Amino acid sequence: MTTTAQPSVRSLETVELSKTFGGVRAVDGASATFRHGMINALIGPNGSGKTTFFNCVTGMIKPDSGRVTYRGRDITGKAPHTIARAGLGRSFQLCRIFSRMTVLENLLVASREHGRGRLLRGSHASQDVERARGLLARVGIEHLEAIEARNLSYGQQKLLELAGVLMGDPDTILLDEPAGGVNPALIGRISSLVSELNAEGKTFLIVEHNMDLVMSLCDHVIVFDQGRPIAEGPPSVVQADSRVLEAYLGV
Amino acid sequence: MPSASSTAPDGPGVDSTLEPGAVRTAPTPLPPPGGRRSLAVRIARVVALAVGAALVLAFPALAPNAYVLSSGVIILSYAVLATSWNFVGGFTGYISLGHAAYFGLGAYGTGLLITKAGVPSFVAIGLSALIVLLIAVPIGIASLRVRGASFVIVSIAFVLILQLVFQALGSITGGSLGLTVPRPFPGLLRPEHHRVFFYLFATLLVFVLLTWWLIDRSRFGTRLKAVREDEDKAESLGVPTRNYKLVAFVVSATSTALAGGLYALWFGDLDPIFQFSILLGAYIVLMALLGGVRNVFGPVVGALVVGVGLEFFKVNFGNTQFHLVAVAMLLGIVVLFMPDGVIPAAVALVRRFGPQAASIRELSAAELAERERGVRAAAAARARPADHGASAADGDRDRPHEDPRTTGDQEER
Repeated sequence: MTTTAQPSVRSLETVELSKTFGGVRAVDGASATFRHGMINALIGPNGSGKTTFFNCVTGMIKPDSGRVTYRGRDITGKAPHTIARAGLGRSFQLCRIFSRMTVLENLLVASREHGRGRLLRGSHASQDVERARGLLARVGIEHLEAIEARNLSYGQQKLLELAGVLMGDPDTILLDEPAGGVNPALIGRISSLVSELNAEGKTFLIVEHNMDLVMSLCDHVIVFDQGRPIAEGPPSVVQADSRVLEAYLGV
Repeated sequence: MPSASSTAPDGPGVDSTLEPGAVRTAPTPLPPPGGRRSLAVRIARVVALAVGAALVLAFPALAPNAYVLSSGVIILSYAVLATSWNFVGGFTGYISLGHAAYFGLGAYGTGLLITKAGVPSFVAIGLSALIVLLIAVPIGIASLRVRGASFVIVSIAFVLILQLVFQALGSITGGSLGLTVPRPFPGLLRPEHHRVFFYLFATLLVFVLLTWWLIDRSRFGTRLKAVREDEDKAESLGVPTRNYKLVAFVVSATSTALAGGLYALWFGDLDPIFQFSILLGAYIVLMALLGGVRNVFGPVVGALVVGVGLEFFKVNFGNTQFHLVAVAMLLGIVVLFMPDGVIPAAVALVRRFGPQAASIRELSAAELAERERGVRAAAAARARPADHGASAADGDRDRPHEDPRTTGDQEER
């Protein structure tokens, strides 16, 4: 079923995307198509350009050449906030939160209210706060809402970051190593959250090193090596691909 | 939805052990901190505000002589400057050491409009603030492109350039000979003059504080604070950080210019060395940091401490450069013992005598219990692998799904 799915709605696509740092071609002519409504995974050895690719897509880094489109719309080199508002939410590899703001405020930053006339209204508007509390309850940290984010444990910060991304109500969520540095119980919670959200219609793009998680959670896997995709397909196919084994094991 | 069906086998296994709801049913739900205290805190705040306002209003009557009264005017002008600086420093975290530039431009703009163009005194203040607003837009666009130490250096460069320009343009600005600004109320005696300007500065301070408070509690302010905490992260959440920073910067520069204009009318004599002074810019930053940049009254408290300190040191050690050393020592003490400022330090001191806040240890204990439950449930789930395997629709997905849990549990021990 997953193998035959040809997306009727176009999701994130890149064409010949390239980025060079000095002499290093971090992303080298990467063309990739991610599947709408699915959990896509981006895997590859360290230094294969996954995070740089991620940053080019979300506008944190301007690509040297190539094109990024989202739902058919060109978003190449647009400012990160424009891309975020187009419906692409992202988390960071090393969990990034607003450490000296409360947990609730961390979410209120991402409220979708951007009208100029409403910017000076109180940030604790009831509909925003209600929505934020709902999301905190969903990830399971609503009892911490009044605590400064820097006092959370690392795992709680990961959950907070995820809730913050959800606050902007993105259609597509890019997670950079959601299972990095968290305990197994939390990996279970995060992966069940991801599949729940996916069932509600969110598309995911996950960069991850935890192969067990990738293989159990994801529908479509794209393997990166030396700055470009070398294989793609459902987990079972990719796992058996000789090019993937070569890239990972060097055999 | 293809993914829903493919992840379904994971559902029951994960849910029974680690479902998110586990935290919601935690045995000791913590009361939101502040809930118990909020009424007492609110009353204390209102009382403190009323006492502070009464003291400011009564100060001119209580001041024993014109010197003390004029020191009061200076301290109020410092308070306006530090609060204005805090629009950028406090909200966005960009430390500008060159805010004296906008102070000087506001002062010279007002003085020149009065002397050269014959504009009425208080109209001149508004006009020069408007001019500074227009200048601050391109300066802000250029300087806010760089962060951290680079921004600090750019801000210093601007004030140094202005100091040289205003010294060089002697035919217009009076150069180092100074520019005399006519007094708006020529009939007033000196103490009366100080008294009037004391209340004018107090009014401006209230206006600036209100603006800061309004932004602080707004959506705009919440997002500006997010820029201070992590600019890239804020941007990735949809905050147009460049425009937000620019607005904060322009508001800050304009209200600094208003203070400069009022200072020109009060002091009546301008000199590039003192108007475009890096020392003044450094004092402003010192005041804001000393009081605490995250509290609306932080810069005011800082201005009071530093202002009184400056006057005291000048009176006692003014004939040597030791008064500068004394200010530096004050800064050193604050940085060493109250890195977040006087107000946060005082609040922390008060809290020590109040009821204990929910400690983070309590939370991790609850977490520990939750994890314990998770491990036990996982063990229980392993005890019946047969019926779990039977419920799985997809054969080849079953194996990788079991793996993370078993390896994970081993890691935990």
